[in-house]
Formats: sequence, structure tokens, C-alpha cells
Amino acid sequence: MKIFKKEDKMSSLVSANSNLLPVINRFGIQLGFKEKTIQDICKEKEVNPDFFLAIVNTYTDENYFPEEELLSFSPLLLIDYLKNTHNYYIGYALPKIERLLENIMANCGENYPSLKMISSFYQKYKTELLLHLKHEDEKEFPYIVELYKTRKLRPGQKSITEYENEHTDVEEKLSDLKNLLIKYVEPGYNHNDMNEFLQALFQFEKDLYDHARIEDAILIKQVSMLENELKPNEVR
Amino acid sequence: MEENVFIIHPSEIIRKGLAWILQEYFKMEITQLSAISDVNSFAAISNNLIITIIQKGASLPAETEERLRKNNQLFVVSLSASTDKEGLVEGYDYDLNVLASNLEIQKLIQVIRKSASKSKPIMADNGDLTQREKDVIRQIALGLSNKEMADKLNISIHTVISHRKNITEKLNIKSISGLTVYAIMNNLLDISDINPEELI
Repeated sequence: MKIFKKEDKMSSLVSANSNLLPVINRFGIQLGFKEKTIQDICKEKEVNPDFFLAIVNTYTDENYFPEEELLSFSPLLLIDYLKNTHNYYIGYALPKIERLLENIMANCGENYPSLKMISSFYQKYKTELLLHLKHEDEKEFPYIVELYKTRKLRPGQKSITEYENEHTDVEEKLSDLKNLLIKYVEPGYNHNDMNEFLQALFQFEKDLYDHARIEDAILIKQVSMLENELKPNEVR
Repeated sequence: MEENVFIIHPSEIIRKGLAWILQEYFKMEITQLSAISDVNSFAAISNNLIITIIQKGASLPAETEERLRKNNQLFVVSLSASTDKEGLVEGYDYDLNVLASNLEIQKLIQVIRKSASKSKPIMADNGDLTQREKDVIRQIALGLSNKEMADKLNISIHTVISHRKNITEKLNIKSISGLTVYAIMNNLLDISDINPEELI
């Protein structure tokens, strides 16, 4: 897929990939681009264009890795962006999925054990995901912010890779949830409700996947680089 | 379990006669249909004992039969118009002929009821899982560790682990709670066996 450049029109970006809409919203950018380029709009909104491009291109192309841009913006920007994304999940994406699930439950018969199980399973998944997001918001991100401010590694400090390894694998349950529905749900539900729910799960899975790639491809790499830079100072 | 009887036959005399005999001896819900395809409207029935009596040589629409069989205990009885004694033909569970006495009809219903109560509560199609793999899933869902499962099923831990690996590959479900939901959805366990609020 095409890699976007500063000179490209902002409108072409959304036309090429409408999934980017919530992404650019997180930068405070909204529809009504007129003929403005990415550069123009970033300037207006006081967004670092290299950072903006690194994000949208990572979403657009799986193999894209923003090597050049990597050093031109601070990971603190990235953390703000990731926090915004978490808020989007907590405040919009998850409530939407839940609404759709509630619709299904409201329109199916009383005696429907499989859907009750699906509903409990979803709750289980949600709890796990929220815990995961909380771990990043409250432990991992503050560590990174402090590291960039003090430029010092505290003795015995966990590295970013160690923080990452503490994560549970939240993708697993989401994929199980989809498979259970696709393969084993029994008739007796409303098709339209179920389709909407399943489509929302697919969309959310894709969002999370891209989100994780941004963390892995940009944030973790940036922070690891800094950690390695700081290590020899510690020894001395 | 509710009982549904479908009498599907083009002859009104036969439909009404048979229905009358059945109603006299058994309190059963009887649906009379003149065309086989009309049974399609009932394909969504589940968790019932269903007896369909159809003209010998005819068969239920494949898709509907499959669905009814999956979600119910379905018995298909052939009704032949002649007195020939060729016996049970493939594709039917029981046979009956128009000259059967009241007593023979009663007996048949009793045999069917007995067979329905004997077989386990509806087992849906579990894909390609072996009986052993189903045993393992049931234990996983009940929260047993590999060691406990090995002891209970009299197999080695190594075997338990290899079963688990095969299950995950076959079903593409990885989490323990996902497998628990699978077990309920496929009638390997009843929802009352576990606490759904505490999915592992």
C-alpha cells in the first residue's frame, strides 16, 4: 500500500483508508479538509507532521517502519497518542460492543445458555483488557515519561521489554470469542444484531492489532534505544 | 422434554386416522402435513422428542432433517401402504404399515419413548473431537489441572498435554474460559455445572 507523505492531501488519506478516521481524530483533526495537505493541517493543529505520518503509515502498511522519523519526535508524544487511544477504547469502542451484545441478549429467548455464556465470556475478556490498559497507563507509561525526563535508569529498574512481558495476551480471548460465535452459536438470535456485534468485534480486533504494532514498532524500539544509551553511564 | 409428532402423508384418511389413534392413547402434540416440504417451517424446533411418520420411500428435506436431528431427538418412522414384510429400510429409524393394529402402534411409541430417555441429553455435533478429547475439555472446563486430569482419566500428563494441543488446533480456541464456553455450547457440560460468573 501507498506510503503517505507530507505533500499528500489530507482528504486522499481518508479516501484511501477510512479506518484512519478515528486515528486522525486522536490528533484533534476532523473532517472538512478542503484542498489542504497533511503538512498544512498538521501545522494548523500544531501536530508534529513526522509523528503524524509515522502513525498513519504504520496503520496503513504492515511492513512500514518509520526509521527516519523515529528520532525526530519524542516518545512522550507517542504516549499521549496511545493514552488517547486507550480512552477511545474505554469510552467508545467497548461501550459500543456492549450495546450490541445487550441488543442480542434482549432479543433472544429466556432459555439460551450459549448466549449467556458468550456474554459472561465477553465480560471476562473486557476485565482482562481493562487490566491490560491500566497496567500500561499506570506503570509502563509513567516509567517511560520519567526515563525521558530524568534520563537516568534507577537501580533495579525494570526494562521496557520486561514491562511488556508482564502483559497478558488479550488477543487470545477476543479471537476465541469470534470463533465461538462463528462456529458454535445456535439459531434463535436476531441476525442483524448478531452481525453487527460480530462486525464490531472484527473491527475492534483490527484496531487493537494496529495499536499493538505501534507500541512494538515505535514505542518499544525508541525506549529500548534510550535504555541502551543510558546503561553505560550507570556502569561508570 | 416435549413431544412433537408429525404425520406427513398425502392421504387425509391416513393422516386423520393415525392422528386419532395416537391421540386416543397418548397425549401428544400432533401436526398433520400433506406435503413433506411443509416440515421446513418447523426446522427451528429444539430440545424436543420429535417423531415424524412419513410415507415409505419419501424422506425429509436433508437440511431440515439435519437441523432437527442436531437439536432434538428425532425419530423417522416409515409408513408403508402394503403389508409386505421387507422390514426396516435404510433412512428410517422404525417402520409401520397401514394395517398395523392399535396395539402395534402403541408399542412403537413406547419403544421410541424408551429409546429417547435412554440416550443422553442432546449431543450436538462436536466436529472432529474424539471421545477422549471431549472428556479432557469437560475437565478443563471444570477447572482441573493437567495433573488432576491425568489422575482422573487414568492417562499420563504427557497425554493430557497432547490432547490439549490437539483440541486447540482443531477448534482454534485457546483460552481456558473459551473452552469452557465451547463445552457448554456443545452440550458437553450443563451450564449448572459451572458458575458462569467465574469463568476462569
